Amino acid sequence: MIDATTLIWGVAIGCIYVLLATGLNLIFGVMKLVNFAHGELLMVGAYVSYSVTTAFGLDVYLSVFVSMGVVAVVGLAVERFAFRRVLGADKLNEIFVSLGLILIFDNVAVLIWGENSKWLTSPFEGMSVQLGEVFLSYDMLIAFAFVVAILVGLIVLIKKTKIGMAMRATSQKSQAAKLMGINIEHVYIFTFMLGAALAGAAGSLYGVIFPFNPYIGALPTIKTFAIIILGGLGSIPGAIIGGLLYGIAEQSAVAVLSGIWGDAVAFSLLIIVLIVRPKGLFGERGD
Amino acid sequence: MFTKENFLKLVQTTKGRIALVAIAVSLVIPLVLSDNYMLQILTLIVIFTIYASSWNLLASSGQGSLGHAAFLGIGGFTSSLLAINLGIPPIIGIFIAAALSAAIGFLIGITCVRLKAWFLAMVTFGFSIIAGTLFSEFDDVTHAILGFRTPPLLFSQRLPFYYFAVLISIASVAIIYLIMKSKMGLAFRAIHQNTAEASMIGINTAKYKLYAFVLSTFFAGLSGAIYAHFQRYIQISIFAADNSFKPLMMSVIGGLGTIEGPIIGSVVMVFIDHFLVNIDPFLNSALSPLFPAVSNVGPAIRLVGLGIFLVIVVILLPKGISSLLHKMYRYIRTEQTKSEKQ
Repeated sequence: MIDATTLIWGVAIGCIYVLLATGLNLIFGVMKLVNFAHGELLMVGAYVSYSVTTAFGLDVYLSVFVSMGVVAVVGLAVERFAFRRVLGADKLNEIFVSLGLILIFDNVAVLIWGENSKWLTSPFEGMSVQLGEVFLSYDMLIAFAFVVAILVGLIVLIKKTKIGMAMRATSQKSQAAKLMGINIEHVYIFTFMLGAALAGAAGSLYGVIFPFNPYIGALPTIKTFAIIILGGLGSIPGAIIGGLLYGIAEQSAVAVLSGIWGDAVAFSLLIIVLIVRPKGLFGERGD
Repeated sequence: MFTKENFLKLVQTTKGRIALVAIAVSLVIPLVLSDNYMLQILTLIVIFTIYASSWNLLASSGQGSLGHAAFLGIGGFTSSLLAINLGIPPIIGIFIAAALSAAIGFLIGITCVRLKAWFLAMVTFGFSIIAGTLFSEFDDVTHAILGFRTPPLLFSQRLPFYYFAVLISIASVAIIYLIMKSKMGLAFRAIHQNTAEASMIGINTAKYKLYAFVLSTFFAGLSGAIYAHFQRYIQISIFAADNSFKPLMMSVIGGLGTIEGPIIGSVVMVFIDHFLVNIDPFLNSALSPLFPAVSNVGPAIRLVGLGIFLVIVVILLPKGISSLLHKMYRYIRTEQTKSEKQ
């Protein structure tokens, strides 16, 4: 049965999807770029946290900020040396580049950290609060708080700041934005780094809840694409609701049917939504 | 159709000459290289040519599928299960498999024709996941989880199998070529460039997108069936995402939307898959002290190198290797005409 525990796990996983989906949606919305290697940034984020916590004894939750920074710089390199050079070519070329990047990221991670699974140890391990019959672990609550704080920060950035306005302008019509004196190359770099930083934060939080290895990035990427399509391209509320819905659907399927059904049910949900609403739940325009 | 006049016409055009040379090479090469392993790789190339060409046909109508492995798997399992359970000879089974694949492709296509590119990519990907899950859920019927040994396709020897695969491959590519050259192919390209404009000039975009889906999944199912009988074994892993990305990589690296692209791409990618492994021992002995965290560094370093190579190729040649060949051909032609004038 779908009980409260399943629901909470769904929300916890959903939170990580939300961070990935928001980042990917920003990149897609502003740059019209299909970054199929987005999940690799999550993987790198988890490993950066692992390295700084084991090497310097930094608190896991402080390491989230380190991995956001490091992954943003990785994102800068990826945008500058790979994606910028194929922007405007066929979309399938972008997927091709992403597949190449996945090979590079996975195997560089293998060379640095090895293939064995790692995990991040939280200072609050095993601690939880009881709400009725349900146990909420501190780690899930903190992850939830992080996601809320990051999203609030992001929305303020997009709605209230100058660079946020430039991003919105570029997402609407990049040529017109250029004519208005916006340096869209800078906007692209900033957007990509921002999306990467969100993926880095998602990676650190992921590493607290789940063990990870160099190959964990691929499936979250695909799911994240499903989520932003579910929610509607370019819609941040859509990404949030889509991410939570997807996480809950996936966990319910695992609980009610069996482990192998997790992905299938979630994608069935996606297909049904698209049959009813070809532009997603919140989508206004589809590219 | 195959009259002497047509043949002469074919020989007069450069395209025709290249096609004839390619066919001749594919027929003669196994006789020159009598190595069994090499023959196996050549057969794989030929099968993947059908598979990548089928994907490329769909992509030419602006529908980039990320779940073609579903049809590869449906084709492979259908033909193999028919042969084992009902005793239907694989030579007939592969066409039944292709037809079933096309029928399912029709159903998926109906949901997809209304969708824009990215939505379609995810729906097709989701479908390959769902198909894989269903095949493992109904394991009593499919025996997919552990896999099973498939019967041979007419001949169990490798050389006749190769020639059979070449024959089917040439026929498939020729049919796809004729489709791309026809009015339908023109409609596909119009839809790919701008769906709204295409429907404005009177193209029934939904209808043509569905045609592309059915035709493409037919050939994908056919290639899957031949693949299963070639491997003599089939398992759930045929639905893996890797198999969905392969035709995309082959088509893009060879030249998207061209007839020769998927052929060049499958040659390049199959060769890389099977021969680059040989540098692992060298990489291991040369570079393992640098990476103490890993016991076997060879594969990882090779794959990093491959990733960098693929990214660089698509950056330098956004239209694939075939565009480079076209450029070279034009360069030679202009040089020739220059020297003729002098």
